Amino acid sequence: MPTDTTAQARAPSALSILIRNPLAGVFVALTVIFAISALISPYFLTGYNMSVIARGLAFVGLVTIAQSSLMILGELDLSLGTIGGLCGVVSGMLMVQAGLPWGVALVLALMLGMALGFVNGFLVTSLGLHSLVLTIGTAGIYGGAILVLTKGVAITGIPQGIQFLGRGDVLGLPVPFLIMLVVLAIALFLTLKTPMGRYMYAIGNNAAAARMLGIRVDRIRLLVFTFAGMLSALAGLLMVARLGTAQPSIGQTWVLAPIAAAVIGGVATTGGIGSPLGAIFGAGIIAIIENIIVLFGVSPYWQGVVSGAIVVLAISFDALSRRYLRRDGA
Amino acid sequence: MRKLATMLAGVAIAMPLAAAAQDAAGTAKKDSYRFLIVPKVVHPWFDKVNDGAQMAAEALQAQTGADIEIVYSAPQTADVVQQVQIVESAISTRPDGIAIDLLDPSGNRGSLEAAQGQDIPLVIFDSVPPEGMDIPYIGSDFCEQAKIASRRLVEVLGGEGEVAIMMGVPTAPNHSIRAECHREVFAEHEGITVVAEGIDNDSIEIAQQQAAAIMQANPDLKGWVASDAAGPIGIGQAIVEAGKEDQVTLVGLDNLPEMLDMIRSGVADSSSASQPELQGYWSVMLLWAQATGAPVPDYLDTGNAFLTKDNVDG
Repeated sequence: MPTDTTAQARAPSALSILIRNPLAGVFVALTVIFAISALISPYFLTGYNMSVIARGLAFVGLVTIAQSSLMILGELDLSLGTIGGLCGVVSGMLMVQAGLPWGVALVLALMLGMALGFVNGFLVTSLGLHSLVLTIGTAGIYGGAILVLTKGVAITGIPQGIQFLGRGDVLGLPVPFLIMLVVLAIALFLTLKTPMGRYMYAIGNNAAAARMLGIRVDRIRLLVFTFAGMLSALAGLLMVARLGTAQPSIGQTWVLAPIAAAVIGGVATTGGIGSPLGAIFGAGIIAIIENIIVLFGVSPYWQGVVSGAIVVLAISFDALSRRYLRRDGA
Repeated sequence: MRKLATMLAGVAIAMPLAAAAQDAAGTAKKDSYRFLIVPKVVHPWFDKVNDGAQMAAEALQAQTGADIEIVYSAPQTADVVQQVQIVESAISTRPDGIAIDLLDPSGNRGSLEAAQGQDIPLVIFDSVPPEGMDIPYIGSDFCEQAKIASRRLVEVLGGEGEVAIMMGVPTAPNHSIRAECHREVFAEHEGITVVAEGIDNDSIEIAQQQAAAIMQANPDLKGWVASDAAGPIGIGQAIVEAGKEDQVTLVGLDNLPEMLDMIRSGVADSSSASQPELQGYWSVMLLWAQATGAPVPDYLDTGNAFLTKDNVDG
């Protein structure tokens, strides 16, 4: 029987627990980038700037939660950006051209997002198509539908009522950011605390084995694709509320950034590894980089180089910390 | 005692005069100014705007002794969401002024209101302010610029033939105004038929693809006009690739180096050019004037130039 002293010696320290956490690498990278930005730029830590970063993060953050959930399953959906854009445009048309109350338009647009996500999931599961290849096609269809509906012209006259969802603040925090936090909490609960979450990781690790264990693989894929479509639609709607117009360009930058954010956050593209929280940390790193290159007045011709280099540094830092953990655990 | 009374009276008179002098328009002074230039997108036309802005900074620095810094911050793509993000981040740095070419007045309104809320002077160039917002703006008469080009095309075609319009970024007001004015001119001539309109989103590559497809679908097409600077360059490339230099007339827009080369080589007939350097120059001048408290005009017209083979190197 171990003595108290031995037990104390074996008890892991708080630092050790932190280091062993798979999110430690990306969290430390985020903290370091945040601290350096605060030290170098006197404007970085101002309340207004924090609000700008949080509001900007919210939209791509919602799509990142959607994409990371799919990536845990071992799937990728390249049409999430255009689903967001199409649902934003349709919500604008419902509010402005059909004269529907914004609450009704919002619900209908969310349902459209779910339907579009379901279509992706249905084609992947029923035809056995690779989600990456399939969604290149559906992204083209949804993006084309935006141009057909708008002729490339933004829909203006969005009701003031809905604009609070994009521009408003509650307790000093931007409303879209608060919505993203609520969605993140739900996604974390689903992935970490429910059987469905465990099934998602099992499918991502080995779909054939999961099927043999009796897990309804296709049903869960369908559910997650539908959930991802709804979150993208929500991001599109919030962007319409923020801009006060339904822009045909909404969602164009939500294709690669969420995948990059998820990978930075430790979500494996091969499935079964990572969590939406890590992906949001990754999205936070990207949001801060986008902010500081403006604060520092980086030349637009150097912005790609600078932001790319910081992302490579963040990923390298994460990889090194994982290697250290593996060695430490061996 | 009498002396003291005279002195007090003198001070009493001088104080309001001094106060008036301090409050006089255009007399507020700082040792340094930082102005932000936000174009629609990374693009050579806007590099010329930036060149003009740098010239104005040098001129002001030489004349006033103040340090003038120009920060040029461009969205990587012509996306209003990115542009709004740049402006909002820039507001955090408390610049002395922001000059911006709006991608979409409605979409940009929120960020402009945020800047005004923090008393940051604004100037809009190559675009028009959102409806109801009191912001000075600089540009050429976009409609007149387009009409110069489309009238020239009608003249070269002898008032007859099929023509096409490249629209640029449809949500950008200057591009949509130009496209509409092209349509107005062509509608005045019964012999002219607009058979196609393309959208190039201010990208030479997309313009080339669109123009090639439109010329394939309309083999009798006789002429092109554009609504943005990238458009005519892409159209010119498509004309050369299709070997239609002698069949299709291109009247371009603006004065990018590729456009001037096409006029010299005969691929393009001519170009109706706005003057980006002047827009950048006067954007900085108007921002500086506002920062000093001086009144500025609501609108400043930098004019258009019509470029042909005869005057392109003049």
